[in-house]
Amino acid sequence: MKNVFETKHLTKNFGNLKAVDNVSLSVKEGELFGLLGPNGSGKTTMVKLLTGQIKPTKGTATVLGVNVLKNPIGVRELVGVMPEQENPPSFLTAEEYLHFVAKIRKLEDVEEKSNYWFELLDFEDQKDVLCKDLSRGTRQKLMFAQTFLHEPKLVFIDEPLINLDPIIQRKVKDYLMDFSKNGGTIFFCTHVLEIAEEICTSIGIIYRGRIIYEGTMKDLKKRRQHLEDFFLKMVKEA
Amino acid sequence: MFEILKSMMKEEWRSHSTMFGSLMFFLFPVVISIFAFIGTLFLPVLENMLATDQIAILVHYLFVLFGLSVGAFGLFGREVMNRRFGQASMIAYSSRTLPISEREIFLNFFIKDVTYYFLLWILPFVIGFAAASPFISINLSYSGILLTTLTLSFLIGLSISFFFSTIYVHSFKLLVSILLLAVFLEILASNFFYINLLESLPTLSFFFVPSIKKIILSLSIILTLSSFSIIFMKVDYPEKKRRFKNSLGTLANKLRFSKYSFFIVKDFLDLKRSEGGVGKIIFSFLFPLAILWLLLSVFLKILPFSDFTVIFAVFLGVISSSMYNWLTEFDLFTAYSFLPVKVSTVIKSKLSSYVLINSISLIILILVTLTGGNFYYFLPAVLSFLAVSSYSLAVTVYLTGLYPSILLYNAKIFLLYFLLMSPILLALIFLSLFNPFYLFVSPLLAFPSFYLFKKSFTKWDSWNQPSF
Repeated sequence: MKNVFETKHLTKNFGNLKAVDNVSLSVKEGELFGLLGPNGSGKTTMVKLLTGQIKPTKGTATVLGVNVLKNPIGVRELVGVMPEQENPPSFLTAEEYLHFVAKIRKLEDVEEKSNYWFELLDFEDQKDVLCKDLSRGTRQKLMFAQTFLHEPKLVFIDEPLINLDPIIQRKVKDYLMDFSKNGGTIFFCTHVLEIAEEICTSIGIIYRGRIIYEGTMKDLKKRRQHLEDFFLKMVKEA
Repeated sequence: MFEILKSMMKEEWRSHSTMFGSLMFFLFPVVISIFAFIGTLFLPVLENMLATDQIAILVHYLFVLFGLSVGAFGLFGREVMNRRFGQASMIAYSSRTLPISEREIFLNFFIKDVTYYFLLWILPFVIGFAAASPFISINLSYSGILLTTLTLSFLIGLSISFFFSTIYVHSFKLLVSILLLAVFLEILASNFFYINLLESLPTLSFFFVPSIKKIILSLSIILTLSSFSIIFMKVDYPEKKRRFKNSLGTLANKLRFSKYSFFIVKDFLDLKRSEGGVGKIIFSFLFPLAILWLLLSVFLKILPFSDFTVIFAVFLGVISSSMYNWLTEFDLFTAYSFLPVKVSTVIKSKLSSYVLINSISLIILILVTLTGGNFYYFLPAVLSFLAVSSYSLAVTVYLTGLYPSILLYNAKIFLLYFLLMSPILLALIFLSLFNPFYLFVSPLLAFPSFYLFKKSFTKWDSWNQPSF
């Protein structure tokens, strides 16, 4: 299996704060990689760095063979990104938003593609509602749909389940696991450890901008350790 | 009551100082004072062309105009803040989570806004004037009078704007009827009763001949209009879901000549579907323009060499560039940052929307020429309008990117904006006073405009986008 992305000494400072500190990390094709960490540990900054939304202070990152610093647009053309905050344009309807994203991504069969997502995530009755009037959960479904609309090979998703009801959470988790089994790679940021334990194939723990652990879920299971206990121990020791 | 106000004041300070640093926000009123100081020193020169009374009229109406523009923000301010700060993240939204009525919140918000504008604009302006007064032998007591009359003029403009916007949210037809009635009364008053409406502004007559009656009259106007707005304000909770048929593709198809058609349609839908709808155009563009038209019609009677259409065209060019602000108010780049879109692409799409929307200004210019009946200088007027609007837009985009309404409060950026704009405007106005045909040189502004646009795209693409 080849690496879908690789970072070397990736660092991002905001003034005196080291949001990401000298991170060298790689993820292989087909993995469902969970980046776990407490609030403010650097998870979202990592996603932004890897997708060229912000520039690193130091270090390099290559995503699907593309240098992120040199060609951030090229990276975002290839990957799907689901940001932590769901903020689709206020005055477009849910359906118009997916068509708008499809146009930016130069996609064909927009109608068919968007209807698939409205049906799968069960919000067909909301497709003509303005985004600003949608509930947070529905906005999250919409952002999930735009992430996968162009059928990318690699997606970055930041806390994708937090506002969803248990029925949709199940559907989303199944979708993510199927996506990964079919060769897609997922970089999944969360602090909900139960979800990570259930669906991830490998994990990384980030704390104060530094990766303090990297390994597979199989390793953890071999050690007969619960993710929660392991996570708390690692963070305490760091 | 005062706790809410105090917290709102802190919130306003912190939101601005977080955006570009406390110092640059703090220096903003200092820059205003310096401008007012320099402007006052030039009064003796200006008095060679205009009478003192005319200058007083100009300054007072500028503050009425300012109040009108600020009030227009009330029309769509809530949605802009929702977009920028998220639902319920500011005290203005506390009525949903705390036991405070929407009216109480609005009243505090109104007082906070007035205090901020007073501290940022009016007070520094008068301080600048007072500091320069001894150098040109103006009695210092005028500063005190000016502080009172300018504050009241601003408040009159603000309350007029709130009054009309309150009527607008209840009934657009009623608003149009009231505006038509106002125009009819103005024509009646000036043509049959020979009342000069421009000079009947109570704050202005107080400036000329101070009397308590005029202060009471000014305060009555402000209190009546503001109370009406607060009593009849429409409380609009976002509980009702608004539904629309998908019109993105159909409309974009009509604009397929532009590669930004989908972005332009999105801008159009933002303006149409957001609070205030077309009302935003009336309050923040046509109202100031109407006052400009009124002022120029008076002043140009005493400047025999000038042509109304040409001077109006130059100012129209500057005011029309403010439409770019509307186009950026409903969009945050964070909504695009995870998609394969460059900042410059979004800016270019806004510029395309601007070109289309700017046809309103061109129509206004044609209407003004038709009303005046003087077509002789129409061509230089159109050319100067196009040149000035492109140039002022280029300056705005270069200095503020996608955030004009925020970054212009950065003292350094404001100063640069002023320095890049004022020499050009003064040069064009002076040229037009000698001969309006000299404005055939105005298309030369295309070169700096093009250069600034080009530099802007590179500049904003390489900038780490903030989250405001």
